[in-house]
Amino acid sequence: MSIGRRILVTWVLFGMAALIVCLLAPLVGSTSISLRRVFDSSIPFEDNADAQIFFVARLPRVLAGALVGSSLAASGVVLQALLRNPLATPFTLGVSAGAALGAMLALTLNLSSGIAGFSAVPIASFAGSLGAVAIVYGLARARHRGLSTNVLLLAGVTLNSFFSALILFVQFMSDFTQTFRTVRWLMGDLDVSSYAPLMAAAPPIALSFAAFAVLPRRMNLLSVSDESAASRGVDVHRTQRLSFLSASLATGAAVSLGGPIGFIGIVVPHLIRLMVGADHRLVLPASAFGGAAFVVACDTISRTALAPLEIPVGVVTAIIGGPFFLWLLIRNR
Amino acid sequence: MATHKKSIIAVALLLCVACVALAQSSPQRIISLIPSTTEMLFAMGAGPRVIGVGNFDRYPPEALTRPKVGGLIDPDVERIIALKPDLVVVYGTQDDLRAQLERAKIPMFLYEHAGLQDITSTIRELGRRIGSAKESGALADRIEAEIADVRTRVAGRPRPRTLLVFGRDAETLRGIYASGAVGFLADMLDAAGGTNVFDDVKRQSIQTTSELAVARAPEVIIEIGVDTASATGRNLRAWDSLASIPAVRSKRIYQLRGDGMMNPGPRISTSVRRVAEVLHPEAFQKIESRK
Amino acid sequence: MTDRGLAAERISFAYGPHEAVLDDVSARVPHGGLVGILGPNGSGKTTLLRLLGGLLRPSGGRVVLDGIDLHKIPRATVALRIAMVPQETQLAFDYTVLEMATMGRYPHLGAFEVEGPEDLAIARAALAATGTEHLASRPFNTLSGGEKQRVVIAGALAQSPDILLLDEPTASLDLAYQLEIRSILQKLNRERSLTIVVSTHDLNFAAGLCRELILLHQGRVLAAGSAASMLEPALIRRLYGVEVDITANAKTGQLTVIPVARAPEAPGA
Repeated sequence: MSIGRRILVTWVLFGMAALIVCLLAPLVGSTSISLRRVFDSSIPFEDNADAQIFFVARLPRVLAGALVGSSLAASGVVLQALLRNPLATPFTLGVSAGAALGAMLALTLNLSSGIAGFSAVPIASFAGSLGAVAIVYGLARARHRGLSTNVLLLAGVTLNSFFSALILFVQFMSDFTQTFRTVRWLMGDLDVSSYAPLMAAAPPIALSFAAFAVLPRRMNLLSVSDESAASRGVDVHRTQRLSFLSASLATGAAVSLGGPIGFIGIVVPHLIRLMVGADHRLVLPASAFGGAAFVVACDTISRTALAPLEIPVGVVTAIIGGPFFLWLLIRNR
Repeated sequence: MATHKKSIIAVALLLCVACVALAQSSPQRIISLIPSTTEMLFAMGAGPRVIGVGNFDRYPPEALTRPKVGGLIDPDVERIIALKPDLVVVYGTQDDLRAQLERAKIPMFLYEHAGLQDITSTIRELGRRIGSAKESGALADRIEAEIADVRTRVAGRPRPRTLLVFGRDAETLRGIYASGAVGFLADMLDAAGGTNVFDDVKRQSIQTTSELAVARAPEVIIEIGVDTASATGRNLRAWDSLASIPAVRSKRIYQLRGDGMMNPGPRISTSVRRVAEVLHPEAFQKIESRK
Repeated sequence: MTDRGLAAERISFAYGPHEAVLDDVSARVPHGGLVGILGPNGSGKTTLLRLLGGLLRPSGGRVVLDGIDLHKIPRATVALRIAMVPQETQLAFDYTVLEMATMGRYPHLGAFEVEGPEDLAIARAALAATGTEHLASRPFNTLSGGEKQRVVIAGALAQSPDILLLDEPTASLDLAYQLEIRSILQKLNRERSLTIVVSTHDLNFAAGLCRELILLHQGRVLAAGSAASMLEPALIRRLYGVEVDITANAKTGQLTVIPVARAPEAPGA
């Protein structure tokens, strides 16, 4: 099969899989609802509990899951290519630590955004992620004209440690109920219960995906070596910059929306590569769709397994992702 | 003459022993690490004997003048021991602290949050322990009487299905935590004449997702301890997006501010009454405005 | 025409303020030539190669391609003319041999263009030219050192360049593979007029492959000229600090260099 056809098939197959998962998910939940009633337009919306559950409680949640899952999986792929390391995650370079610190501060100080319907937490979280990106980027650029991936990695890991220490400090200073809420935030929560957070997260994610659209071929060349990519005409510095900034932007937006949900950025790309190979023109879109499906599926489990109690979605992805990843590694030996 | 002397000495000795025994049985230097027990101590008149409080103890205002010795997770053991207390009120889960105090041979009173009646029984126990049985007894009686009064007033009236929220991200519906069927908050709701929508959840708290809130369809939503910088009106409007909830439609969403609401301490009777006033306003003809 | 080919005109290069690597280096690579850059480790061979390939910018002087300053030519156009084979290739991901070869077609494709049947044919032909076509669907990482090197050369060939630059192509390769690489390069030079530049410290490999040599000593050109004239004991002594015996091999006629004794540099040499 020619590569062009393979790309098309990948898009269609994985796209449909993600679509199906996203269409089925809102139908499942801890409360049984009647689909007929949901779409019965004769009942005014304020009185239609089934419709409210479907359109206010479940649908935004599924969409949030799709946004978060696709962003984190795609960012994972991009960063793995940039750092030439399949074990890199979207959280390796400190973006999510910055987002977490922002969220912690907003929760502990009980900040209000001053805008009805908008919580201060995602805003502070996104600001924190941008701050982390700026620091890491500045550090990585200081030494060379381009972007040294080694310095990038060191700066990111250092920032992770430093911000984690700050986060612990903030938790320590807050009182008991706030500490619990900050810890809960770290486990991930997709119950956005409104479309506003989605519309706020969509622009930065869309921007990142626009960048992702032009990267795959260059990522193939770059992931072999800087030298071979440059000798084939790739503008290495520009591609590195674009990769780092777009992946970080998407990660920051995703973490601000749903908290730092782990394992997606590493398990999904790995699994996808086993299915489609290493060509990033296949891996990137397949991972984006796969990530969306994975998170939506995990979130569905999270809200049904122990109903009425909820298992935080980050815990579900870890419980499924962790052993699964171990199995993959053992199988490959 | 010798016999007289002997008798006097004997009596004096007895008196001394009695004094010592008396002094030993009533602690004079008390440290309390938990807001509820600190409030209890002050309320039963033992305030002057309290020489150290926890970091989060803010009531009564007098408590703020005492040295702070840490909180639930991080008690400052050195500071506690340096203050030379003769009684320390600790939380049941503070194992490290207990071990250290045992080693230092400092007497302890163990406490843990539990149900509504445990508040008054703790007050009586603590009062006996510190030699203020009379005052603590009176305090406990008063509290029980006030709660009983509330129960009487709301008896026989239909009990609205209530969602008792004690945590929420400001201005949104995220991170909503409500009382389950266990604990003093649940008891408080029960005494105030409400039915908990989470009667079936045998836990102290449950995270309430928007789906759950709609499914349980509370007739009244009461938010306590949700103190943010945000204006009440704007904060409560967040519920408007779940318009099918009866409480939202009939606009029976109340925010009861004040940090005393979350403390299972002496002010609990006031808290119970505030909740009852909101659930059954008709039963409280003269609504006294209180904080 | 003297203008055709690659040339370094008095270039200098430093990685940092006190890390000067090349100083006033001039070298010519004629069209169709088989040139070796010879020198001990640290003499600046790899840097010179990267400068010739346009991967680095000289701090002084310029590199010209067919008479035009290399850095005035768009990157993508340079990639159509010059291809580079690095010393080592370690892959983090499991690309197949065919994918590695096909990557060479990148400079020929438009922004969102996908490789067509002609591109695939060229890639396969490149693999065939290095004797690796039978490995096409194997993951690159499962190959032996020699096979990997041949595949990387195929990837460079797939670019359809006029000029091929190779950095230490035989370092860490077995004798058999060294011979293979040598014969592949000679064939390419002979049959396609491919201009070839190799950097190496291996005297005998240079002797067996190159028609011209540039001797690089501590960032400067010691001498340059035909291989026969460069492989001369006095020059080798200055370059390597080793006394050598150079003879023409009875069987092949190729010049062979045998080290005899150390000959440390005389002061002021």
